[in-house]
Amino acid sequence: MKAMARPLIIVGAIVVIIGALLPWATFVLNDGAYPDKASLEFFDAPFGLTSFRLYLELLGLAGLVFALVPLRDRIRVLKAVGWGSAGIAVINTLFIVGDGGGLGAVTVADGHSAFGGLAATVGAALLLVGAYQLPKAPLAVIKPRLPFWAEWLILLVAFVALLLLVTETLTAGGHSGVSDPYIGPLFLSYLCAAGALLGVLWAFGVTKWISDMSERHRIFSIVVLLLCAVAVPFTSLGNDYWMTITANIGVYAATAIGLNIVVGLAGLLDLGYVAFMGIGAFVAANLSGAVAAEFGIRLPFIVAAIAAGIVAGIFGAVVGSPTLRVRGDYLAIVTLAFGEIFVRVSQNNIGGLTGGSNAIPNIPDLSLFGAQFNDSLTIGGIQLPGGVLYYFLIVLLVALVMFVFGNLKNSRIGRAWIAIREDEDVARAMGVKTGKLKILAFMTGATLAGLAGAVFAHKLATASYDSFQFNQSVTLLAAVILGGMGTIPGAVLGAALLFVLPEELRQFSDYRLMFFGLALVVIMRFRPQGLIADRHRRAELADEDVTGESLDDTAIKSPVAVAGVKEAGA
Amino acid sequence: MSTPVLQARDVSMIFGGLAALRNVSLSLDEGKIHGLIGPNGAGKTTFFNCLTGLYTPTTGQVLLKGTVLPGDPAAVTDAGVARTFQNIRLFPSMTVLENVLLGRHVRMKQGPLSSLFHGPAFRRGEAAARDRARELLAFVGLSRVEDELSRNLPYGDQRRLEIARALATDPAVLLLDEPTAGMNPQETEAARQLIFRIRETGVSVVVIEHDTKFIFTLCDRVSVLVQGELLIEGTPDEVRGDPRVVEAYLGKPPEEVEAELQAVQEGETP
Repeated sequence: MKAMARPLIIVGAIVVIIGALLPWATFVLNDGAYPDKASLEFFDAPFGLTSFRLYLELLGLAGLVFALVPLRDRIRVLKAVGWGSAGIAVINTLFIVGDGGGLGAVTVADGHSAFGGLAATVGAALLLVGAYQLPKAPLAVIKPRLPFWAEWLILLVAFVALLLLVTETLTAGGHSGVSDPYIGPLFLSYLCAAGALLGVLWAFGVTKWISDMSERHRIFSIVVLLLCAVAVPFTSLGNDYWMTITANIGVYAATAIGLNIVVGLAGLLDLGYVAFMGIGAFVAANLSGAVAAEFGIRLPFIVAAIAAGIVAGIFGAVVGSPTLRVRGDYLAIVTLAFGEIFVRVSQNNIGGLTGGSNAIPNIPDLSLFGAQFNDSLTIGGIQLPGGVLYYFLIVLLVALVMFVFGNLKNSRIGRAWIAIREDEDVARAMGVKTGKLKILAFMTGATLAGLAGAVFAHKLATASYDSFQFNQSVTLLAAVILGGMGTIPGAVLGAALLFVLPEELRQFSDYRLMFFGLALVVIMRFRPQGLIADRHRRAELADEDVTGESLDDTAIKSPVAVAGVKEAGA
Repeated sequence: MSTPVLQARDVSMIFGGLAALRNVSLSLDEGKIHGLIGPNGAGKTTFFNCLTGLYTPTTGQVLLKGTVLPGDPAAVTDAGVARTFQNIRLFPSMTVLENVLLGRHVRMKQGPLSSLFHGPAFRRGEAAARDRARELLAFVGLSRVEDELSRNLPYGDQRRLEIARALATDPAVLLLDEPTAGMNPQETEAARQLIFRIRETGVSVVVIEHDTKFIFTLCDRVSVLVQGELLIEGTPDEVRGDPRVVEAYLGKPPEEVEAELQAVQEGETP
């Protein structure tokens, strides 16, 4: 079989390229951009390909080149290419079948033939089968250090490229979220292509090299990342729709990082976490001077936000106190019950502070130097979209939460939390006051959620119990686990995926949550440590990886590589 | 005579109706190594758990330098009693250095605010803790592997890491629960030398062990527990020569057993 690897890959790659050039549908789907490139075009315009077919053509070419060029460790590169093409081929074929009506749409009908989708799928499968026959090799490591200005330059380029990748991924197939009826598959295709690109870079050791570099220049990296975040409204994401989406992602990312302290570091399963966000939102709403609020006072936002954090933190300590006695599954049930109590109390307006099912509407917009946060803004002749100030506020919030998480994690307290997660009895025997520290974890997490809730209430202009239901808690927990427990980028990525995907996949209406669930199952099966794994967590789950095919298998097995892995989440 | 550094007075531990320990006393002088031996199920580990606050004795007291120890493991460690575990219990997914740093936890003073802002005092404390942890790793001979995950260490190294982690709490008394279990003769010898070096640093040591040869050549005094009761306490020579110890440990001497067997057989044959 081993001898067949290269021929299989070469044939697969060629079939993928041919598949990209063949027509994909036997009829023109409705009216939009998706089908016109997908149906009647043929070999006459091989370079006129756009969108997913272009990605496929490029991936096929890459597969061909990497199969022919002598590379010691091409297996990972080809796997990335193979999975990327397979994803694009399958998603688009299924979409045409499902949306265009039956198998005839991707085979032969009405005198037209369209085998592009099937060919690409088969090609990708051959490529993958071949790639998995290749001998394994240790992960490439790029060692050399450059002078600091060169490293800064590389980091700058890398972060800007990342920013562009993110904006392009988000806006693939439409800039406002409604303009293109085919946004779902186009977005997913782009995601597959971007994933394949990152996979190839990872296989060459580039991502590791850059992450080590950013570790060496932490301050510089943080500044550049902040600038990149601030630059988002100036890119193709600079419209009202995307400002709202990104602001939402930011709020949930901040909350997810807070939850990451409780779940990821201290290992305490919290199923009612979103209630703290709700408490923060209601506190801020009541102090905002909204007409429906119980207190007719209007405090400056910063004061209200701090109050929201403190009140949520106090509730956090209260909810956390059973952790002194209750562990594991039982604690999860206690937190679940607390979340439910919060929802019912606020729904029925017990205590009169939540507006019940009417919620607390018309929370006044924030303003700074006379600029309303929801209005658009003009700086130096550039018109920025509405809500841009909320976006900046939320960038600030996320930065603050990251600061808290990062510093606590790398301290005596963070180590004690991790020790509690690993073996609570031993932590105690080593002198860790486990009770106090567990309550502190709950308090810190709750305070951060409360702050996020305060911003959330103003951004939405409404504080309603409906935003803080059980399913939100579950989604946040999924964001933390999916992204990677115990890391900051993991929580951000998880929150972004979980709150963007449903937006982008509106298209699949009835099926979207099913696909979404399936994707979660698949990711958890093949990458239980999450997309961006914490070093500790990755090691913990290494045992369960029976096939040894984890993306980081070499990092786990080779002590040298382990020694080289610095705090990915720092 | 000076006060013993660690003293157990008539400690009894009763689980339900089962008396795991009955009136066990122990007195450890400063800078000594005290061995604790006994057959399986004699209550050695239960006694350790009483000494470290994991169990609160049903009756009796444990005193450190004349002060009664609190019934809480964290507070006991803070007071100056550290331990290792019979089945190694490291934090498997933390690095070697982080494991020892966790041992430093109790001697570090940074609170939440200091940990949040990472000010100069925080960084000084952190650096000092790292220095001390590295010193201890050098002491037990694990300097080379400080960045490895503790789960990846070979068995003998994990035992030594557990000792380094316990030493990081600056204990007055170190309790070692079967430190040489599963070790080959070379490793056992290395462990003996390590324990001697620990004593030289002024730490008093209590060792549980099955390997009587190891105990008799290591300890200044030895206690023998049998079925939850203290059988005898004395110097290794006194204990080794005591027929009750031999009987409890090995059963009766072979000649006696044979004689008994013969008696039984004779009784059965008509």
